[in-house]
Amino acid sequence: MLNRFASPLSSLLDARADGHSLPAGLYTRDDVFEADLDVFFMRHWIYVGLECEVPEAGDAVVIDIGKISVILLRDDENEIRVVRNVCRHRGARILDAGPTVVSKLVCPYHQWTYELDGALSYAPHMGKDFDKSCRSLKPVQFKSIGGLIYICLADEAPKDIETLDEVMRERLAPYDLRNAKVAHQVDVIEEGNWKLTMENNRECYHCSANHPELCVSFVDLDFGFDPESLSAEDREQAEAHFAMYAERTKAWEADGFPSATVEQVRDCETNFRTQRLIIAGAGESQTEDATAASSKLLGKMTRKDLGDTHLWGHNSWNHFMGDHAVTAMVIPLSADKTLVRTKWLVHKDAVEGVDYDLHKLTHVWIETTNQDADLVARSQAGVSDPAYEPGPYSRFSERALDDFATWYIDRMRAHGY
Amino acid sequence: MATDGETISRPVASDVWDPETDDRLVCLDVHDETHDVKSFTLASPQGKRIAFKAGQYFLFEPGIDDEENGRCYSISSSPLRQNAVTVTVKRVAGGKVSNWMHDNLKPGMDLRASGPMGKFIRLEAAKYLMLSGGSGITPVMAMVREMADRAEPVDVVFLHAGRTPLDLLFREELAVLARRVKGLRLVFLPEVLTGDPAWSGLSGRISRELLSLMVPDIAARHVLCCGPAPFMAAARTICAELGVGADRYLEESFDASVVDTPAIVAEVPAAAVSYKVQFLKQAKVLDVDAGQTVLSCAKKMGVRIPSSCANGICGTCKSKLVSGLVDMKHEGGIRQREIDAGFFLPCCSRPLTDLVIDR
Ligand code: FES
Ligand code: FES
Ligand SMILES: [Fe+2]
Repeated sequence: MLNRFASPLSSLLDARADGHSLPAGLYTRDDVFEADLDVFFMRHWIYVGLECEVPEAGDAVVIDIGKISVILLRDDENEIRVVRNVCRHRGARILDAGPTVVSKLVCPYHQWTYELDGALSYAPHMGKDFDKSCRSLKPVQFKSIGGLIYICLADEAPKDIETLDEVMRERLAPYDLRNAKVAHQVDVIEEGNWKLTMENNRECYHCSANHPELCVSFVDLDFGFDPESLSAEDREQAEAHFAMYAERTKAWEADGFPSATVEQVRDCETNFRTQRLIIAGAGESQTEDATAASSKLLGKMTRKDLGDTHLWGHNSWNHFMGDHAVTAMVIPLSADKTLVRTKWLVHKDAVEGVDYDLHKLTHVWIETTNQDADLVARSQAGVSDPAYEPGPYSRFSERALDDFATWYIDRMRAHGY
Repeated sequence: MATDGETISRPVASDVWDPETDDRLVCLDVHDETHDVKSFTLASPQGKRIAFKAGQYFLFEPGIDDEENGRCYSISSSPLRQNAVTVTVKRVAGGKVSNWMHDNLKPGMDLRASGPMGKFIRLEAAKYLMLSGGSGITPVMAMVREMADRAEPVDVVFLHAGRTPLDLLFREELAVLARRVKGLRLVFLPEVLTGDPAWSGLSGRISRELLSLMVPDIAARHVLCCGPAPFMAAARTICAELGVGADRYLEESFDASVVDTPAIVAEVPAAAVSYKVQFLKQAKVLDVDAGQTVLSCAKKMGVRIPSSCANGICGTCKSKLVSGLVDMKHEGGIRQREIDAGFFLPCCSRPLTDLVIDR
């Protein structure tokens, strides 16, 4: 038998009971936060941005994750590159956080100058015989899945990203996200642990009481309900709803739009779920009245009735609709602070005020994100109280949370914690 | 015989000229092309092979009067002949380096040289139109020589303009090449017939009428143009009018000395012209000589502009040009979008008018 040396976290991991939320320490402790960054943000594939954020050669955007900073850019050959934002001279940060335009990557400290492919091209005062060849900026492995950029900072990247790639490449093709543009971006810092942020996003148990705007277009039933707790009338409605689902999904798939649920959420490395969801009411888009916010549809879309292709990852959630897309990425800042960066995408030729109204485009998810930030802060305060003990997830409407918590514990263990 | 250290066999790469480390060329041959044009053939002192692309140039710094006087010269020889490079240089009134080469550079002498550099390189195309004026013929000559060496099937109209028939360069060689290389058509265009009143071809300047007659399919050709500024300006306008898309039009424009310095400029010594350059934030106004970079002048006068490479590579000196025009020869340190947004690199820009800079 192999000797296993318990890590200081293993007793916390062991304490997690099936079907229950996580022990408090996993949401609050600094050593857990460090381990989380290491396991879930350095060793797994994470979603960090979009090809269309750097549409032209020389466009660059810096993304900071914990102590790590990476530059996503488009080089002179129009290829996407991701490199580490650390100068090979004495390590200075090369670019500041946020978007910028560069002709070369020049370190502000002593002007070591790198080509956009990362190669060091100019290092003043280092002597004629100085070998520049092994001093390129370190590349980061990345994958563009239908224009969504995923990176993995470990040498050994999880291979099951392939399933995500295969499934989503086809689903995302009609939206042509590479030819979209970011119409709006909002950063919200939630006062809570990143896992509370993710858990909150994976259930809609809380939706009807907290998200009046979202509920116009979102069907909370989609993420589970207890038939017993519904009135006879509601139950009838629910049944009709699911009959409609089966029928719509069949029709969408027959038209060539893959729609069925694909889940890879347990016993895997790369965690994701996708499904084409029905949009309630007018059925077009996640807006106040569920009609499209942009009259210019995304990519090659010709119809507005293709629902909402949703995609979860362990640090993101996304909604792709006929007229626009909403994509959110999550970066932990500390044990009890989490950055949620939401972007709204429209067709790159759509003109604000002509093809779309920015308020209509963003209203639902701005409200929803703020409401969720309140809920997450409320949870964080509660789990930090000594009175907190892990409670049971609903087997009807919080199954996804049990999957997530189970996956979380497994992945921690797989990485030696 | 060899000492220990030298018995280690050298990597093959050291037989190839390395632009990063190699920096001297030795003159092998000087050849008179016309009354005021000479070709200089130069090689690596260690006999290294010099790899380059037709259309590229070398920067020579002979160190005359202990000064940093650098001039760029396009290579006229074929890139398939890598033992040496040939540059073809016209004597220019007031042209310090050109004249020094004419008067002093002899076989056996060596000088500081860096290169090859430059992006005046032909794209793959089915048909070309090469337009050259005066010693602007050198980069396109290298291309034609390359085509001949490769025995490529080509479709090239090669138009060369010069002041008089006696100023036309490489006439005999081009005639021989045209006989051998199928699909190479020559058009010589002297401006005046001084020296050869019996000239039987056309004369005058390039014009819309001339090009549309001589090159009816011009819109389908990839155009490469090199010559004095007024020649290039005329060619650019005419080609655009005749339907040549900007993506099919390439001109060499980095330095006046690869082409004839237009007589008007040459007659006035460059130093005599100077411009007022105003630095807004530091509230200073300087006189900058035409021919001097904005950065070097600013430095001398105590105006602060951050800089590093001084060669248009790094972009450190990037500044906003509030008004005025400059002649900028950058090496990738700035993007067209930034230029369009009003930025420039003072380290590699010479004023063409008075300037106002936001520094
Ligand atoms: S630390 Fe970047 S150039 Fe010195
Ligand atoms: S100092 Fe490097 S571009 Fe001007
Ligand atoms: Fe929510």
